[in-house]
Amino acid sequence: MRVSACFLFACLLAYGMENSSVPPARSVRECATCHPAQAKPHPETSMAHAMELPAECEILKSHPVLTFRSGPYSYRIERQGDASTYSVSDGTQTISAPIGWAFGLGLAGQTYVYEYNGELYQSRVSYYKSLDSLDVTLGAQNTKPTNLVQAAGLLMSPDERVQCFRCHATDAADRKKLTLNSLVPGVQCERCHGSAENHVKAVKVGDAKGARMNDLRTMTSEQTANFCGQCHRTWDEIAGSGLTGVANVRFQPYRLISSKCYDADDKRIRCTACHDPHGEVSRSDASYDAKCQACHGGGKVQARACKVAKEGCVTCHMPKTELPGSHFKFTDHYIRVARAHAPYPG
Amino acid sequence: MYRVVLILLGVTLASGQSAPSPQEMLKGAVAAQQSGNFDEAIRTYRLILSKYPNIPEIRSNLGASLAGTGHYAEAIVEYKRALRLKPNAQVRLNLGLAYYKTADFTATVETLKKAREEAPSNLQIVTLLADCYLRLGQNKEVIDLLTSVQRADPSNQAFNYLLGTALVRDGQAAKGQFVIDRILKDGDSAEARLLMGTTKYIASDFRGALEDLQKAVELNPELAEANAYYGLALLASGDQANARKAFERELKADPNNFESNLRMGVILRQDEENDEALKYLHKALQIRPSDPGVLYQIASVELAGGQVDRAQHDLEALVRAQPNFLEAHVSLATVYFRQKKKPQGEHERAIVAKLNAERQASNEIGAKGQ
Repeated sequence: MRVSACFLFACLLAYGMENSSVPPARSVRECATCHPAQAKPHPETSMAHAMELPAECEILKSHPVLTFRSGPYSYRIERQGDASTYSVSDGTQTISAPIGWAFGLGLAGQTYVYEYNGELYQSRVSYYKSLDSLDVTLGAQNTKPTNLVQAAGLLMSPDERVQCFRCHATDAADRKKLTLNSLVPGVQCERCHGSAENHVKAVKVGDAKGARMNDLRTMTSEQTANFCGQCHRTWDEIAGSGLTGVANVRFQPYRLISSKCYDADDKRIRCTACHDPHGEVSRSDASYDAKCQACHGGGKVQARACKVAKEGCVTCHMPKTELPGSHFKFTDHYIRVARAHAPYPG
Repeated sequence: MYRVVLILLGVTLASGQSAPSPQEMLKGAVAAQQSGNFDEAIRTYRLILSKYPNIPEIRSNLGASLAGTGHYAEAIVEYKRALRLKPNAQVRLNLGLAYYKTADFTATVETLKKAREEAPSNLQIVTLLADCYLRLGQNKEVIDLLTSVQRADPSNQAFNYLLGTALVRDGQAAKGQFVIDRILKDGDSAEARLLMGTTKYIASDFRGALEDLQKAVELNPELAEANAYYGLALLASGDQANARKAFERELKADPNNFESNLRMGVILRQDEENDEALKYLHKALQIRPSDPGVLYQIASVELAGGQVDRAQHDLEALVRAQPNFLEAHVSLATVYFRQKKKPQGEHERAIVAKLNAERQASNEIGAKGQ
């Protein structure tokens, strides 16, 4: 990890950051001392790499030069040592800025955040794995830049900065203030479990009561959906926004709650029933069959057994759906009898 | 702004009292009122009224003096008494102004409507009535009220401005632009910029709106609602910190600005300053009683503050009054799930799904029609 001191200092000045009252995040290694089963596999997960610094970013390292052209603008990401520079030119003028952070592991895509004139911008182009190259960032396709600054990226509002960094990193914000000085890239232990400072202190002196942390295992389906929805978006947020159509396919808690089989009290349908938050998400469709059968195999009176098959449930009932512009097919968590040519529900 | 009625000097009062005579007392009270010595005027008017309670002019003068000291509630009582004794358009206008000062715009409108019947040609009543309709968000009423008036006097820029504002806010951009052009004949002005900025804001051209509204504020920082709309445009552009400052500036000049109170409430709620948020939201509700947006925000603050039962009560009332209010149903579902009332929660979610499906269908029809 190498962020130049100058750059970090510039960030500190630009965003009016205060020294965080939150203690620095504990390393996963420290947590692994007592919780090896949970902490050891975590560094390899996608969530742990939800954000990367350019020095460690595999996509940027393995692509010394990435280029793209959109209308009169040409884009270039170039590697020099441990840093990557993002440049946009209209043929006469060029804007260049060092990439500060890479958002997303790149399973679908990766977007870059850079600092320009004291503000943070989200790059107008992103890397897409299925293309193995750059294309316009999701959401920016319908925008028409009127100048070079807009062509380079989208200015992040103070709220957007906090929201983006808070979900892609740990200890990135204290309430509504960015705390980039304490930021640890990716979703690490304390992003979900909260600060472990008191926990560690208590453990060291054998104070069992003081060592207690929130037990996330006791959460109901509803609470879990809202917890994971802090970043993956809650039902409230999406339903309230009126965002209908395929654009909401990537908001899994919202889609899951919209499912007929969702039961706010039944832990067999909560997010963590299928996904181990400490491990990598399973890409094997068959690995989810047992989860479905827990109810549809006779475990729940209201849950009827499938007449077609007992295997590969998700392949039919959670169809993979391409989100236009994302170059990626998302698993639709709206569990249903998906009929051919039926319109996208919700 | 409060005209003193002096016709009382001719009124015959009971005689045979020791000096000073009632006429002299009245003269002194009127003089005190005219010189701004309202406390003296109030004292004397009350003394006269204790003996002669049914003289409407003295009641209305007392009302005006009370209004002069900022005691609007008492002024309203006196104006009403005066009007019961003798209907009078000017006194009714004063009553309307007193209501206006207490931010009771609904009562102001009712009062001014009667005043207008009594004095149809009084343009001060028309102007104030139009202003109140705007504050209440009743744009169509402004258009109905001012279209004919403005046609009779197209050079009256105050009417042009009020009518233009109503047209723009009502989504009648083309007609609004016609009025804006009329204002622009006198050259660039804060009023014209505000109207142009408002038009762009309503059309979701936030960048364009921001430019015009910033210019409006630069040209006249005191122009009513300029800071409020500038704040809205800043908010839409994601600049919450400066939006907040703009709303604060508006409220400093006009504590009864609806949008600024509402938005300050929303910003403070988001910042988890719930008590402060409620102060602004209740003020907004005072200005526009039963406004669904404000009621929803108040319920949201209650929910965020853990007052789940209260939020339930308010949201249930809200969805009864506004059955298609999507966000209210969403929040009510959340409330029910927090209260472990699963069937009710699921029922609300089903309503949300239905409303969203209807919206989706409507959008698709709209898209096909284009």
